[in-house]
Amino acid sequence: MTVNNMADPRRPTKIFRYKPPNTETNPTLEDPTPDYMNLLGMIFSMCGLMLKLKWCAWIAVYCSFISFANSRSSEDTKQMMSSFMLSISAVVMSYLQNPQPMSPPW
Amino acid sequence: MRHLVFLLPALLLLLALPDTRGRYNDDFDDGEDIAEFDDNDFAEFEDVSEDPAVDVEKEPPPRAAPPSTPVEDDEDEATVENEDGQDEFEDADAQDQDMYSKYDNEEFEGYEKTNPSFKDTLIYREVPAHLQNSWESYYMEILMVTGLLAYIMNYIIGKNKNSRLAQAWFNSHRELLESNFALVGDDGTSKEATSTGKLNQENEHIYNLWCSGRVCCEGMLIQLKFLKRQDLLNVLSRMMRPACDQVQVKVTLNDEDMDTFVFAVGSRKAMARLQKELQDLSEFCGDKPKSGTKYGIPDSLAILSEMGEVTDGVMDSKMVHYLTTHADKIESIHFSDQFSGPKVMQEEGQPLKLPETKKTLLFTFNVPGMGNTSPKDMDSLLPLMNMVIYSIDKLKKLRLNREGKQKADRNRARVEENFLKHTHAQRQEAAQTRREEKKRAEKERIMNEEDPDRQRRLEEAAQRREQKKLEKKQMKMKQIKVKAM
Repeated sequence: MTVNNMADPRRPTKIFRYKPPNTETNPTLEDPTPDYMNLLGMIFSMCGLMLKLKWCAWIAVYCSFISFANSRSSEDTKQMMSSFMLSISAVVMSYLQNPQPMSPPW
Repeated sequence: MRHLVFLLPALLLLLALPDTRGRYNDDFDDGEDIAEFDDNDFAEFEDVSEDPAVDVEKEPPPRAAPPSTPVEDDEDEATVENEDGQDEFEDADAQDQDMYSKYDNEEFEGYEKTNPSFKDTLIYREVPAHLQNSWESYYMEILMVTGLLAYIMNYIIGKNKNSRLAQAWFNSHRELLESNFALVGDDGTSKEATSTGKLNQENEHIYNLWCSGRVCCEGMLIQLKFLKRQDLLNVLSRMMRPACDQVQVKVTLNDEDMDTFVFAVGSRKAMARLQKELQDLSEFCGDKPKSGTKYGIPDSLAILSEMGEVTDGVMDSKMVHYLTTHADKIESIHFSDQFSGPKVMQEEGQPLKLPETKKTLLFTFNVPGMGNTSPKDMDSLLPLMNMVIYSIDKLKKLRLNREGKQKADRNRARVEENFLKHTHAQRQEAAQTRREEKKRAEKERIMNEEDPDRQRRLEEAAQRREQKKLEKKQMKMKQIKVKAM
């Protein structure tokens, strides 16, 4: 007869709640990619709008997409949407002002 | 008057002569259009340098068409009405009319024509690309949009793959976890501590699971750190530098669950990196990572330990068996009672406190497949989770002997002393500023006191206190001098 030596290790009385790790004390844990990409996207879309550079506007669209893909679930969707809308508007404005197609740099 | 009458036709004849010569030549040609005759007639007036260019070509045909039709009509009239003898004159007349009609501007009102340039060089204007009405000129834009679509497709596919992997992991480990922990799955937001029974998604590639309610430990946080399959840039960079999915397990212990020691085992690269990065490993395990072949584990794994006794205690037969069979999946295993995370970069002028430590067990496992994981691979991680549970139970029982304990205590005291020494200057500065603040506050209080008597009394009291302090200091200095002597 096998004796079950393993008593139930569960202790419902010893439950501790989950505390999300404090990222202020440990900034290395955070991935900075979405924040950088967001900032880059805004800069490029501003450049594209002000300087009327089509390629800037396109890069801004890409940056906002990358930022969205890397973002955390807890992050504000409004921020993402605003940067996305800004980059799309940069592209649209560049083409309205100058409907010529983009010329490659080579 | 009569002279004029004869002079006029003569002049006209002279002018028309070159034309008539051409005409006679043309009469002998068969089957030629009258329009062609016109072209040849006018050819002499047209400039030789006129080349059939793109733009210019487009212009002459429409221009030539209107003049040719009225000219034709005139000629028809001319040929029908005139007799042979008067043909020349009539023809000349007709041709003169033709000539003039060609340059009659009223016929071409509203019609812009560019005169054939009499210069040698013509400037050819390129038709702007967006007026060309062809999609081919927008190829860069089409490329960009295709790239965006590819990114979106990759996002959806990557997200789904990560989600499936996470679910597969959870399904295979659920039974083990539920039999060991009272609380499986908690996101910390609900009021009551009930098991959610599912993973907590932090990102598209990071999933958390908190388990609690067990003997020998406070709680266990499992992090499934998958590759960023949802980001196309990451996918492309991984083609250059392969990486693998990781499962990180962090077990936090109560004070009584573990004795005081620091120990780590894992791949050589990981050990070298952790020794540089982590606060406790760099302070307590100063020696370079040692090979573990002495204990029977493969050479690919290295050991960092505070003292030999700890290694002997941890490396029992079962642990060795685990390490040997799953050496390829183990990135690092770290047991520490002084765990405080990676080394924090201290800024200048900030008063330091010893970082808070917690008794922790950390496990990092590599998922097999090197990126090309399938949900089935998650089952192979189950024995590793068994090892985690086994370690928790084992460390509860592992106790250092008296010598080991003394050594451990000495080590900790040494580290603390070093820390205090390094921060001495900063702490002094902090104390100084605090003292100055106190003085300033007191002075303000005295100044604000309205009653002059009380003011005087407070001032005297402050002065007396300062005198006492000075005297004390002088006494101390004297004592030190006496002792030195």
